Amino acid sequence: MSITLDQVTKYYGGAPVVNDVSLDIGDGEFFVLLGPSGSGKSTLLRAIAGLSGVDHGRIALHGRDVTHVAARKRGVGLVFQNYALFRHMTVAENIEFALRVRHMGGRARRQRRQELLRLVALEGMDNRLPAQLSGGQQQRVAVARALAHKPEVLLLDEPFGALDAKIREELRRTIRQVQRELGISTVLVTHDQDEAFAMADRIGIMNLGRLLEMGAPHDLYSRPATRFVATFLGAANLILARRTADGIQVGASTLCASERPSSTREEHEVVAVVRPEEIEVAPSRDALVSGYLTHGVIEEVVFTGALESLRVRLADGVQAPLLSHSEGDASAALQVTRTQHEQRGFEVRTGQSVAVGVRRLHVLPTPLSSFTACATSMVLAEDLSRQPLLAELATRMKTRIALRIEPHLGVAEAACEAPGDFVGTTVIASQTDCAHRAEWLLRRSAKDLLVLPPQALTPQRVLIHWTGEGARSATLSMSASVLRHVPAEAVYVGILPAGDGGGQPRGMRELLDARSEARAAHGLEMRTELHFGEVAQELARRLADSPQQMLILGLTDLEGFAERFRALLDGGEWPVLIVHRESS
Amino acid sequence: MSFRKASVLPGFGLTFGFTTFFLSAIVLLPLAALVLAAASMHWSDFVHVVFSPRALGSYRLSFGASLLAASINLVFGFIIAWTLVRYEFPGRKVIDALIDMPFALPTAVSGIALATVFAQNGWIGRYLELFGIKVAYTWLGVVLALTLISMPFAVRAVQPALLEVQRELEEAAETLGAGRFYVFRRIILPTVLPAVLTGFTLSFARAVGEYGSVIFIAGNLPMKTEITPLLIVIHLEEFDYQGAAALGLVMLTISFAMLLAINLLQTWGRRRPVRAAH
Repeated sequence: MSITLDQVTKYYGGAPVVNDVSLDIGDGEFFVLLGPSGSGKSTLLRAIAGLSGVDHGRIALHGRDVTHVAARKRGVGLVFQNYALFRHMTVAENIEFALRVRHMGGRARRQRRQELLRLVALEGMDNRLPAQLSGGQQQRVAVARALAHKPEVLLLDEPFGALDAKIREELRRTIRQVQRELGISTVLVTHDQDEAFAMADRIGIMNLGRLLEMGAPHDLYSRPATRFVATFLGAANLILARRTADGIQVGASTLCASERPSSTREEHEVVAVVRPEEIEVAPSRDALVSGYLTHGVIEEVVFTGALESLRVRLADGVQAPLLSHSEGDASAALQVTRTQHEQRGFEVRTGQSVAVGVRRLHVLPTPLSSFTACATSMVLAEDLSRQPLLAELATRMKTRIALRIEPHLGVAEAACEAPGDFVGTTVIASQTDCAHRAEWLLRRSAKDLLVLPPQALTPQRVLIHWTGEGARSATLSMSASVLRHVPAEAVYVGILPAGDGGGQPRGMRELLDARSEARAAHGLEMRTELHFGEVAQELARRLADSPQQMLILGLTDLEGFAERFRALLDGGEWPVLIVHRESS
Repeated sequence: MSFRKASVLPGFGLTFGFTTFFLSAIVLLPLAALVLAAASMHWSDFVHVVFSPRALGSYRLSFGASLLAASINLVFGFIIAWTLVRYEFPGRKVIDALIDMPFALPTAVSGIALATVFAQNGWIGRYLELFGIKVAYTWLGVVLALTLISMPFAVRAVQPALLEVQRELEEAAETLGAGRFYVFRRIILPTVLPAVLTGFTLSFARAVGEYGSVIFIAGNLPMKTEITPLLIVIHLEEFDYQGAAALGLVMLTISFAMLLAINLLQTWGRRRPVRAAH
């Protein structure tokens, strides 16, 4: 492995900007770190270069631990967005800088310089000053300079950001060519997905300091695991659907997912990703080649050259809950792109009514699909849906908050008011007698329940605990999902009965098992803590330790729930997400 | 060349007119008057005044001490500017504001303050006395006063240039294997050198013209601690206006020559890219 990152974490002002990133980059691999601005990708690159230290974790280059090695001794080449050429030096002096530092002889230096100039196609430019070169040429010089000392690793920090489209493309090709020719392991940081697709052997996608997913460009595009990756990497329509025994049910239609049906027998709500090019429009339902989704009205037609881009508003009354695909886009219309060929087959214009079909959809494995704010009256439910943390979570997850009125919430023998199961994550406001209400909902089929204090803010630390092994996997998967949307630190809290000295080795083993499962199955890095005492008491004590913490609690058994967790839930100051799974 | 020709940037005629008018009214005419006053002297009188041993001594002290003060500020002004630009520490803003104090203070006040502190029984002077170092009423005092009043120029000239040095340049050099001192010498210094020279010039110019603060700490012994401006004032007090003008003319000539030399040096340095000499 050329570059190995192990749990690299970097804090800035108390909040992690790079959060538990582990990564292996192979010899000669071209790895692209892709993410929006502020996702921590540049900080991570600077950490690899040694320009900023890390607070936790380990960095190794070619098996050599360089975590505490100065930048100048790491043997990396770094290219900046703004070239960072030495303006008072000529091209030749710029390129030879690293060689002079190493006291290389004049002849060898000149020879190496010629080699590099040929590599970046700038022969004969030796005596120019940077100011006399175009942007593209300057960046070529910067690449040549970064390669002069034969670094083991080449790092590129948004190298094309300051260039216009044509030159960008040309330089991309040059860099890819040089990289192949030298076989040098390379990390490129960018926020431009086209660039990532064009250059990467493998892409790693970062958001909020976490490395969410990585893989070959095609795999990531066709089978994203998180909604962030689905929407960030190309356009995507997110649709709330139900997974049933027959397939994926969207509104009234049942479609087949691209992958094999999951092993869970139970029906549940899922988030499906449909790429704009996987949607078919036709004059009528019968004319569709693919599975029928619904009818809709063409709202907008934009010609973009090779492709045509449509927005289709779904017909009223159709129960296909479409989630908005981009932030701030409240009018959730379906995004469709069509090739010239498709356009010739069926021409459309604005206002036309069409049948909409789906060729292929992909179901996200996330357990967090949507939120339902549940209260005893409409006013209270609406109030709850505006709670800042809930609103922020829903925005970040690009999902919706439904309302549900349960006038008899908490009344022991009363049945549910609204028809149907509880889908997605049910949310109630935390208040006195909250434990009671939580139990009431959990006993009436609510599986995931978020108890939310009115003043709760985005947590900085998420504590994770489960009682009962049956809930472990679901709790971990839920935690991973939450932590992808919140820049917080994950801590697994193991609790053993007080005075159980003999249980300690067993407790430690459980901690380590939990940690490795979280990492392997969900890509979630957790810290672990071991406490002794009664579960609810210990958790409450830990939560009271510092502000802005959240608890994710897994349960299999509801026996005496309200009594047991009263201290945790009633009038608490922290959000608690309860994951309830019957042990099987 | 005709001013009537339409220019890309209009208003040249007007602005150039103002420029010449102001320069004439405020700089050129008074200087011309100075030259005229000196010119009305007899040549032998002029030589007598200008090359008297007392005058020669005062030139040596004035220009020598000013050069020394400007050189001190070159080094320490740079360090102060560096500290203020590069580090974040409590009280940075206060120190930044303090730099300008010598600008605002009447120079006589600075002189009295320095004299108090560095006198033989002053706060610092008393300890320097133990080592046999006398500051007040010696040439050291003159240098000290000139350094103090010209320091802001050096700092303020370098500060913006240092701010402009991109961190990325240093980081690039670092990843290429350069140590800190190498980066400083090869990347930072060449970039800020013009500004450092400007700071040097400005503080030198300020020091040569200084009068108020020096006379309080210098002791003003003829031949030893008497600066040329003071000598001019002495001539004035004796109603010897011509003698004063003659000395003024000498100062003017030497100052102009030195400033011109430094400016030329700067221009030459800017045109030619700093070679990567080893």
